[in-house]
Amino acid sequence: MKGPVLLAAGGIAAALAIGAAAAQAQRGATPPRAPAPQTASAYTGPRSPDRKPDLNGIWQALSTAHWNLEAHSAIEGVPAGLSVVEGGSIPYQPAALAKRNENFQNRLTADPLRKCYLPGVPRATYLPFPFEITQTPTHIGIAYEFAHATRTIFLDGTAHLEDLDFWMGDARGRWEGDTLVVDTVSLGDRTWFDQAGNFHSDALKVVERFTPMDGSHIAYEVTFDDAKVFTRPWKINLVLYRRMEKNLELLDYECAEHIYEKLFKKK
Amino acid sequence: MMTRIIALASVALAPVLVAAQQGAPASPPAPAAYPPYTRPVSTYVPPRTPDGQPDIGGLYLAIPLPRNIETPLVPITRPPNRANGEFSYSLNERPKLPPGAIVRPAGVDPADGRIPLRPEALAKRKDIISKQEQIEHLDGRVLCLAPGIPRSTVPAPVVGYQIFQKPGAVVIFYEQSHLYRTIPLDGRPPLDPNIRKAMGVSRGRWEGNVLVVEVTNFTNNLENNWVIGAVSATPGVPAESLATGHGIPHSDRYRVTERYTPIDANTIHYEAVITDENVFTQPWTVAWYGFARAPKDYVPVEYACFEGNEKNLLLMTNTDISGIRVQVP
Repeated sequence: MKGPVLLAAGGIAAALAIGAAAAQAQRGATPPRAPAPQTASAYTGPRSPDRKPDLNGIWQALSTAHWNLEAHSAIEGVPAGLSVVEGGSIPYQPAALAKRNENFQNRLTADPLRKCYLPGVPRATYLPFPFEITQTPTHIGIAYEFAHATRTIFLDGTAHLEDLDFWMGDARGRWEGDTLVVDTVSLGDRTWFDQAGNFHSDALKVVERFTPMDGSHIAYEVTFDDAKVFTRPWKINLVLYRRMEKNLELLDYECAEHIYEKLFKKK
Repeated sequence: MMTRIIALASVALAPVLVAAQQGAPASPPAPAAYPPYTRPVSTYVPPRTPDGQPDIGGLYLAIPLPRNIETPLVPITRPPNRANGEFSYSLNERPKLPPGAIVRPAGVDPADGRIPLRPEALAKRKDIISKQEQIEHLDGRVLCLAPGIPRSTVPAPVVGYQIFQKPGAVVIFYEQSHLYRTIPLDGRPPLDPNIRKAMGVSRGRWEGNVLVVEVTNFTNNLENNWVIGAVSATPGVPAESLATGHGIPHSDRYRVTERYTPIDANTIHYEAVITDENVFTQPWTVAWYGFARAPKDYVPVEYACFEGNEKNLLLMTNTDISGIRVQVP
């Protein structure tokens, strides 16, 4: 028994990188980006010691995007919602649209979140769970209540890593005026954007723009660029709300525990 | 990268080794040969953060435990095994103990180096260890469950830490299984005992330059949630010797007081006092030089433990979890 187990232990190692080779694809093109605003910002909220908008705190999206980024009527257990996609619908290539529709049909078993896999980016942001931002001049840490996911956004000018994929991607950020701009790549091809089966390939590049509107609201814009799946880059827009409750703190949603609870109950 | 990946295998291997050693006969205790534990007295004064906290922020690596957690009841006669908990570390350059540090097990109090388990807890522990081939009793770290406190600080093959500080809080990201803790410093009240967290609920304060954290409200819903344990069993030592820290149960009363003592600009000493009247006959203490500042080129990466673990569990316990789905909000 010991020999096979030694080999089997590599399964954990496999989790480290989801398809390492895949990260090499599609590194060339960068999505078009507006020049950094040099004018004075309208933001008058709190600032960090290095004079950046102070994003420290607990935030949460309030939308139906986690069910479906696009416009949808209510179905059992799912409220209706407006589209958060700029222009209304996601510009899928024909084969990819068919795949998305297949995903939708199979969503109760095929959604990676139902296996408690990490949600990826930007899905982690608009899950119906709070997340906590911790901001320093060189790094921004984001801790998510769902499955204790984390991201570290490097603001230190370092480049993306090569040849590794991560469920939560590889995030490098910078301040453009009062907007935090985060480039995330190496997201693999195994996460979805929502419960409706909207998906991507390993060529996905995500650019998030966090623009504080005031001390308690952030305009959150995301650009998706994936030439294998979409006909052009596309955007979503959401508002992130600061959670204001006194003494609020993140609690647990240890998704994997619920998998094991189900397993042990069955056995 | 590959060195790290290979080393991870020891995490999964550990409980199986423990199980394999069940047949070995118990041996007479070896005398403890270590001086009484005293907290390190540090004269180092860290710089201050803009809000006035001692600044310990940054990236750190675990310093390997020089002698595991418990004092073995059987003297170890072979050289240390670098593939297991004594020297579990997978980067080429391992952080070293600071000069003058005593090479000793992490369990420093009581002085005999043994975990003061109540008889019924000891029986429970032996039972857990004897059932490591059943998934219900398997080491939670192999299931990719959050290991709790202080186990998350026990050096594992995935050893990076990122300490953030902001006004009113210290935040620790653990590279291992992307665990994290927010440690509020604002004197807020404890949480309702009905709320449980795998990593506990932390309340911190600075005592001079020492960060003191009270951790309570630990999860106790699965037998696999071991909050103290090493990376792996010590080969050649029977499980009854308790030389590994595996399978220690805990109750709802389990709580920990941690002390993070900056020794110099690059080193933090870690101490945890563990109390659980239902499990231990007295509070007991683990302490070691826990954190060494990471080299400048060190980059923490995601260790997505659970996502790749299905085949591992199938081969180790013949349990297939691949068909299980859970509702998500």
